[in-house]
Amino acid sequence: MSGTPNEACATCPAFNAGHLTRLGIDLSNVDFVVALAGNPNTGKSTVFNALTGLRQHTGNWPGKTVTRAEGGFAYSGKRFKIVDLPGTYSLLSTSADEEVARDFILFGKPDVTVIVVDATRLERNLNLVLQVLEITDKAVLCVNLIDEARRHKMEVDERTLARELGIPVVLAAARQREGIDQLLKSMFEVATGAVVCKPRRVQSIPPAVAKAVDRLTERVAGFFPGLPNARWVAMRLLEGDQRMIDAVESGELNTLLDQAQRPAENQQARVADTV
Amino acid sequence: MNSTFVLIVLLFLLVVLLGFVFWPGKGIVPRMLLARKEKSRAHLEDVLKHAYDCQYRSVACTVESIAGILQTSIGNASQLVTRLESMGLLERDGSALHLTSDGTSYALRIIRIHRLWERYLADETSVREADWHRYAERQEHLLSPADANALAARLSNPQVDPHGDPIPTATGEIPIVPGRLLTALEEGEFGRVVHIEDEPPEIYAQLVAEGLYPGLQLQMIQRRPDYVRFEAEGEEVLLATPLARQVSVTLIPEERRKRGPFATLTAVESGRAVVVTAISRACRGQQRRRIMDLGIVPGTRVTPELDSLTGNPRAYLVRGTLVALRKEQTDQIFVEPDAGVA
Amino acid sequence: MSTTDLKNPSSSPTASLLTEANALRWEMGEEYHDSLMEGIYEDAARIADRSVTRSGERRRFNLDRAIDHLVTSKWTGFPFMFLVLAVVFWLTVVGANVPSGLLADLLLDTVHPMLKGAMQSVGSPWWLTGVLIDGAYLAGAWVVSVMLPPMAIFFPMVTLLEDFGYLPRVAFNLDALYRRAGAHGRQALTMTMGFGCNAAGVVATRIIDSPRERLIAIITNNFSLCNGRWPTQILIASIFVGAMVPAHFAGLVAAGGVVVIAVLGVALSLVVSWSLSRSVLRGEASAFSLELPPYRPPRILQTLYTSLIDRTIIVLWRAVVFAVPAGIVIWLVGNVTIDGVTVAEHFVNWSNPFGLLIGLNGVILLAYIIAIPANEIVIPTVLMLTVLTSAINGVGAGAGVMFEADSTVATAEILRGGGWTALTGICLMLFSLLHNPCSTTIFTIYKETGSVKWTALATLLPLGMGFVVCFLVAQGWRLIAGG
Ligand SMILES: Nc1nc2c(ncn2[C@@H]2O[C@H](COP(=O)(O)OP(=O)(O)O)[C@@H](O)[C@H]2O)c(=O)[nH]1
Ligand SMILES: [Mg+2]
Repeated sequence: MSGTPNEACATCPAFNAGHLTRLGIDLSNVDFVVALAGNPNTGKSTVFNALTGLRQHTGNWPGKTVTRAEGGFAYSGKRFKIVDLPGTYSLLSTSADEEVARDFILFGKPDVTVIVVDATRLERNLNLVLQVLEITDKAVLCVNLIDEARRHKMEVDERTLARELGIPVVLAAARQREGIDQLLKSMFEVATGAVVCKPRRVQSIPPAVAKAVDRLTERVAGFFPGLPNARWVAMRLLEGDQRMIDAVESGELNTLLDQAQRPAENQQARVADTV
Repeated sequence: MNSTFVLIVLLFLLVVLLGFVFWPGKGIVPRMLLARKEKSRAHLEDVLKHAYDCQYRSVACTVESIAGILQTSIGNASQLVTRLESMGLLERDGSALHLTSDGTSYALRIIRIHRLWERYLADETSVREADWHRYAERQEHLLSPADANALAARLSNPQVDPHGDPIPTATGEIPIVPGRLLTALEEGEFGRVVHIEDEPPEIYAQLVAEGLYPGLQLQMIQRRPDYVRFEAEGEEVLLATPLARQVSVTLIPEERRKRGPFATLTAVESGRAVVVTAISRACRGQQRRRIMDLGIVPGTRVTPELDSLTGNPRAYLVRGTLVALRKEQTDQIFVEPDAGVA
Repeated sequence: MSTTDLKNPSSSPTASLLTEANALRWEMGEEYHDSLMEGIYEDAARIADRSVTRSGERRRFNLDRAIDHLVTSKWTGFPFMFLVLAVVFWLTVVGANVPSGLLADLLLDTVHPMLKGAMQSVGSPWWLTGVLIDGAYLAGAWVVSVMLPPMAIFFPMVTLLEDFGYLPRVAFNLDALYRRAGAHGRQALTMTMGFGCNAAGVVATRIIDSPRERLIAIITNNFSLCNGRWPTQILIASIFVGAMVPAHFAGLVAAGGVVVIAVLGVALSLVVSWSLSRSVLRGEASAFSLELPPYRPPRILQTLYTSLIDRTIIVLWRAVVFAVPAGIVIWLVGNVTIDGVTVAEHFVNWSNPFGLLIGLNGVILLAYIIAIPANEIVIPTVLMLTVLTSAINGVGAGAGVMFEADSTVATAEILRGGGWTALTGICLMLFSLLHNPCSTTIFTIYKETGSVKWTALATLLPLGMGFVVCFLVAQGWRLIAGG
């Protein structure tokens, strides 16, 4: 059930759910940080609960998760911290939830961002997915509620999606725990760097605006060479986002750059931590 | 025992009462003193604002004009001027008064807070348009520059206020907004409203009642010495020249023009699919973004699905999702029949 | 000098970048955000189009729509809502009776004497036994026996409705009312949360963007009867409202009484919202956008389990935690004497005239002061104080011992013995709806608003309304009844 090419190991024991240990609120010695983003009401908290064994409030109405929750789990010998972000429709507006989500995905430097989408409302959900992919290139798409989609006689082709988006795609029904193993596997691969994403960046920006974005992106890249998400920075500056202005002025953006350039080193440090 | 009990209660009440009256910063007396001080500061700031306005409009600022604007006596006004002079904010040049450079930056600071606050009220609150100016007049004397910067940050550093006036930056720069008077628009040309002068309030209210707002697209139909006639959002508007002079516009190039016809989503009957052509600029800030976040952008197909008891709100099918919207919002969403269906 | 230099953008190296960004912003104006969104959606539509295939989705969509028409349409929307509300309450009232009695038997009549005996046998002094067993333990046990059963029934039912997707439809139905009151349609959602717990309802108001409407939602959340207040409502309704009709209608009429109070709460929240948006929080109703999610068949067993763990236990735990210290206080005010008269009696005698003026009595007022931390303990406190002050002999278990009367009948006898009438009952039900929020909610309001002023308003407004409403009802009643 994965869009990534290497499915050879889907049956070997290393990828069974037995490998998952729910750690609840135990967040000591974490190796990797996972962010959980998505539209409201797509099952983020259900995924979160399935992974951590915690009991975040779930329910069928948008807006019930208003605070950020954190939990832990271990998988394949690594310890993960997972953060259930408030559901948002977009990351380009100005509400408090969006700020939390946006800042965490960019400045929190999660090792992998899981974007949970509703399979029956894929088009609307992709709006957020495309925005997240402007920010980070370590992401996994979890197409949740696939059971609902099936009931509605809709079929989601995860291979096409994975190809279009350039990130691993997993079909899931979190409430029934369907697809959770595969999700764990993909998260693990992206977090460890075994799979490298080539995320799609938005292509259809209208020309008048695109020109300005491109120009500023170039300038940003000039100041921060090697910054993986220069275009996102430019987009935020064009919205007048104070957080980004501050990050530019204070040089905080350089910290993003360091991490992007030295992934291997980082990882070693982490392994050493846990030994 | 009973009498001691009563005595204790009475004493306690007395202490509470005294605290209520004299408590530093919170009691009635300290508050009254503070209010008086603030009132005189507000007056001084209003003088500076007026002086800046005169300078901007190139008219003379005098003690008389100050007295007029503050609705106070000449004596009071000249007292205020003397104080501002001694503070180095104002200079006298014969009967005309000028702002010093310190005075100018002080005035810009007040204007910045005023316009930011108006923008805040317009974008994030449901305070009605008629009250914006009044509230901002009060707030401009209360907010510190740091508060103002925090507010600006929260609003993503807006560049213009809801009337189209530029907001001075924290460093005291004030950009010049491009545009020409509505009366200078040639017949047949398309323009976008960039600024509506918000003083005097009565005239401004008339313009608002005619449905004008910054961002509105209009096409000049007829330009005469004493009036102009133009079309906006599918309706013809006739404005007397003095009113039209309060409005500035920029030309809209061909490719940026909104397409008509301007039917609103509200008017669409249930079950009929339509395509969004534009969202009115009168829908701003948070509200506008929320609507777009839900997937309603020009080009989106929308179908009214459910009516509530009063027909407001209604629920619409948008990109496979049911979304409830109030009439106040769907009035601002323009649509055309869905070509694929009609 | 150097620090100001750093802060001044014109001298930092990245200044030119920011200046350029600013210039570009001026060039594009408001167009920018719109265009960007359009572009992203264009991409999204293209990708979705390529990766999703549908076959015969029509039939399924029609079922969702058919349900929607039933629960939101002009003629059936509101009746359906009231029906759901009434059924939920009726099941709660009727279903909670038996297990409540059993728990009371166990925790109060069996375990309590055992514990007391055990304490005595290890030689603990009378006051320690009093504080720990008669105070703390009894308060906790009472809360468990009275609250657990209704919550174990009510919460799963609400959770089922929530998982099914009904709550947003309620918001959709009620929005017209909230709009006229100058409030936000999502206030209906936060109000529903408030039916569980006002503190949770106050936190839930974060889904309202506009600060003005959010404040209104926070201030009026207390008008949703929270679970801590139902036991009071249900008990008093059974004694004084149910008793007005023949026995086999009593349950139904009592449930009806509770529904009336709950609906009155909603109505008052609308009235207060309306007045607030015409006075201190002046403004027009702004936007309202709410996604109506698809109906999802709930998973019944899992829901029962999780709602028991998630909500019932957590809420109960909070109640017990607050009830224990309150129990100690009750025991103390019932046993510490000044001039040979207990503190409780001092206060009750002093405040009784005022209490009677508003249809209540001194006992109830004292109970509400003690119960500020948790509304759940109002009734046991009332019973204890009533026995104490009216010196009924033969009931209760000693001074300052909170207890659950064996049955509704016995409770009724105690209350009537304390001079209660139907008027007292009705006024108590009203006052239970209209009084200050519990301390947790007050604290939450303070945290969410960050303002003493709004917290004070949210606290005192319902209290003031309670006094006024009870006063009017009492005077009106006495006028008509000729008392
Ligand atoms: N049928 C089905 N329902 C699900 C699934 N995952 C979550 N849900 C339900 O969808 C609703 C929203 O889930 P929740 O985790 O609260 O969403 P969040 O807002 O993204 O945190 C809840 O009622 C869940 O029970 C799934 O895989 N299948
Ligand atoms: Mg959630």
